[in-house]
Amino acid sequence: MALFARRPVAPLEYTRKTWMRLWVGATLVFLYAPLLVLMVFSFNDSKRNVAWKGFTLKYYEKALNNDTLVEALVNSLTIAALATVVSVILGALAGVMLWRFRFPLKGAVEGVMSLPIIVPEICMGVAMLIFFAKVDWPTDLPWPLNLSAITIAHITFCFPFVAMVVRSRMASFNREQEEAAKDLGASEWATFRDILLPHMKPGLVAGALLAFTLSLDDFVITFFTSGPDTITFPVKVYSMVRFSVTPEVNAASTILILLTIALTAVALKLQGVKGIAETH
Amino acid sequence: MSGIENSGNLRLGRRSLLQSLGVAAIGISLGGLAACGKKDEKPAAGGTTKIAPTGEEPKLNFYNWDTYIGETTLADFQAAGGAAVNMTLFASNDELFAKLRAGNAGYDVIVPSNDFVERMAAADMLTPLDHSLIPNFKNIAPEYTDVAYDPKRKHSMPYTWLTLGIGYRKSKVNAVPDSWKVLFDSDEYKGRIAVLSEAGDMFRLYAKYLGKSVNGLTEADIKTIEAMMIKQKPNIKAFHEDNGQDMLLKGEVDLVLEYNGDIAQAMKEDDDIGFVLPKEGSQFNSDNLCIPKGAPRPKNAHAFINYLLDAEAGKKITETILYPTPNAAAKALMPDDYKNNPVIFPPAELLAKCEYAQYNPKLQPLYEEAFTRVRAS
Amino acid sequence: MSLQDWKQHRRPFAAIASAPLFWLVLFFLVPMGIVWLYSFGQNSGPADIAITGTLDNYKRATEWLYLSIFGKSLAVAALVTLICLIIGFPVAMAITFAAEKWRPWLLLAIMLPFWTNLLIRTYALMMLMGSNGYANRGLGALWDGASWLKTLVGLQPLEAWAPVPLLYNNFAVVLGLVYVHLPFMVLPLYSALDRLDKSLIEASLDLGAGHFRTLTKIVVPLAGPGIAAGVMITLIPALGAYLTPDLMGGTDSQMIANVIERQFKRANDWPFGAALSFLLIYAMFILVAIQSLRGDRKKEAR
Repeated sequence: MALFARRPVAPLEYTRKTWMRLWVGATLVFLYAPLLVLMVFSFNDSKRNVAWKGFTLKYYEKALNNDTLVEALVNSLTIAALATVVSVILGALAGVMLWRFRFPLKGAVEGVMSLPIIVPEICMGVAMLIFFAKVDWPTDLPWPLNLSAITIAHITFCFPFVAMVVRSRMASFNREQEEAAKDLGASEWATFRDILLPHMKPGLVAGALLAFTLSLDDFVITFFTSGPDTITFPVKVYSMVRFSVTPEVNAASTILILLTIALTAVALKLQGVKGIAETH
Repeated sequence: MSGIENSGNLRLGRRSLLQSLGVAAIGISLGGLAACGKKDEKPAAGGTTKIAPTGEEPKLNFYNWDTYIGETTLADFQAAGGAAVNMTLFASNDELFAKLRAGNAGYDVIVPSNDFVERMAAADMLTPLDHSLIPNFKNIAPEYTDVAYDPKRKHSMPYTWLTLGIGYRKSKVNAVPDSWKVLFDSDEYKGRIAVLSEAGDMFRLYAKYLGKSVNGLTEADIKTIEAMMIKQKPNIKAFHEDNGQDMLLKGEVDLVLEYNGDIAQAMKEDDDIGFVLPKEGSQFNSDNLCIPKGAPRPKNAHAFINYLLDAEAGKKITETILYPTPNAAAKALMPDDYKNNPVIFPPAELLAKCEYAQYNPKLQPLYEEAFTRVRAS
Repeated sequence: MSLQDWKQHRRPFAAIASAPLFWLVLFFLVPMGIVWLYSFGQNSGPADIAITGTLDNYKRATEWLYLSIFGKSLAVAALVTLICLIIGFPVAMAITFAAEKWRPWLLLAIMLPFWTNLLIRTYALMMLMGSNGYANRGLGALWDGASWLKTLVGLQPLEAWAPVPLLYNNFAVVLGLVYVHLPFMVLPLYSALDRLDKSLIEASLDLGAGHFRTLTKIVVPLAGPGIAAGVMITLIPALGAYLTPDLMGGTDSQMIANVIERQFKRANDWPFGAALSFLLIYAMFILVAIQSLRGDRKKEAR
């Protein structure tokens, strides 16, 4: 491997090694090539994504004027944001619980905790459908309360993922730090806030990203918990592309991708790049 | 732009006027009014059907297939005094049924296919229709007014009908593939065929190929057909999810089992595509307008269904979706290249050999399991 | 490291455990319990299920047909996980050791594609991979180039290019699943590697171990929990994937999730679908419980 290094590279600067760069580059190409095609074809002047027929912006106009599509997008983002916040809290608590305590039936609890990850989506979707129908969950609440059923379902399948990431993160925690803090008179809460939480942070960030992604992309479970007034983006898109992918969907996705990049860039700038990267 | 604003004002004005005068009772047609109000280069209402206030909240939840409505139909309905329609989409009958099985989350009008009308009626999931509120039922061609899957149209109104056949790329076939044999029992087009992934449809079409009725299969037949499917499997490229027209357009396959309406849409974009209804006959399908049990606004739902059966509104819908319409009055308004299109309206002698599939709770699971075995083999 | 016994720390335990446990019971166990009961029932009408306590559904679910599909799905999912691990590990390493200012951007670059709808991404991938897609066109151009080079040096040209079937087969399913599940692997790996004590790696390199040896002897064992989490988070959803095999697979690419999905939809046989689902769940549950018990024992033995 060192063969490829043209100038001295510090041993741990893996990112400066050519093979590593090629590897990451190739992975990114793999990840982004389809998206690029998707973006290019959002300008295609044809009803289908089959062959290039000319440049047009009309599908952007159509997508932006499609009120239900925009509404679905707003719903999706709202749900994802809510679900992420709650999932991170619940997941962090669950992760700490499993990492820290010994309690009866722990194996069972752990198994149950991983169930939302294991259960086939369709099975959980049907379970949620029946559950909300049986408890007569109100469906005609004003926005955003009408999203509650979907949000609850999303939290249920998101927070075990967070718990899993947090727990594996905590495995590398040096317990003596905590004990030292307590010996020095820190309260349980202060120890949690000042010692545990900072250590947990990358796990929380990773967990939040996972939860947000899962929630934003979920179709099956959402489909079964949504009503006529609570359509999310994947549900809308799914029914739109099932028979044929139209450039309108491509246009909407392109807008979404660009919006995400812009928002995250702004967030990173505001927060300071360090804020998120800060792990040491 | 000003035109749009004007028509918006006009719409509001007309509607309140209508309500205060109770014009509906007097029976002045909106088309006439529109003509007085403004030159009707773009009539606000797509139909001549009048819509009386129903006394319900002016809202309606319509659960429909994608690309299955005219471009302006919903706006036209509202402009004509109807409720604001909130249309959401489903992608298959199975989804529709699974979702409504546990209860109705607020849908007013749904569009199930014939066998699902049967199934949902059997499960007591549909509200019987009040025919006195649907005078446009008179527009429906007689052969669709009393059907086996819904005697006397107690629960459903026909919206479209369609039939399964073979879509093909003209330049890539040796002859017009006018028999199910090329798809089901031949290696002539090895690796260039896509068929449906829907087990029931597949078994019923094999029945047609074997000269049987689509509803006359026995367990022994299912065994025979399963063996035939396993034998044919190496020649098939994919079981498609009702997106066969896309695979055909992209050149992934050259022959595909699809609905005539879907292929008719694809033919508009590619001259090299053809469609044929095999000589052995095929299976009819029909999509129907129904009101599910527990619909919050049944009166609006009736008004909406009535509006969709209107001749002018039906014409606009048909222009967009290009499916065969059971609405005789709407068909009469369509141009000749639609009416005489052999893909949309296949020859009568072939249609005579087509049948509706019946809902069969006993055989359906057998089809599914046999098809699972075919895929696993 | 020793685990705290909950009895000695009742208040912190209650503060930490009550919320997630409450949520899990109310919004997960209760709904799933209903479906579990269905697995002991049978259809008594198109939309009615009678819970009769029958075991027929389980008998049917354990027939060879379904077990073999399950086995095949597991093999596919394992292969996908392995490929994700091979691709994802260096990427996670690269992110971990990247300069501080680059790290969040790299992390984002990995995640960003996954904020695009799964179905849209799958269709985009299919556009690339079709018979007339760009992947095939690129390969075709390479082929023609090679053919031209051969004629240049006086050899017979290659035969005409025939598109490679990249879609509608098992290869497409594996590729599609890798594409979809890669970030699920990278994230937990990154989160574990990031906290690694880098001085250990330096020490290993200083003492003369090669990069590969350091990787296998130091990095991988230390990142063990992260790898385990990554494998779990990739393997299980891959096992439950149904959209990718449906859209990209060929005639024999069905996976267990497709079969389960069909029971709940087309076949309208919820009891059987429930039984199949729960068979899957029982197997996983036992696996996880055993693993956790063993893990605890090992820790206590230390």
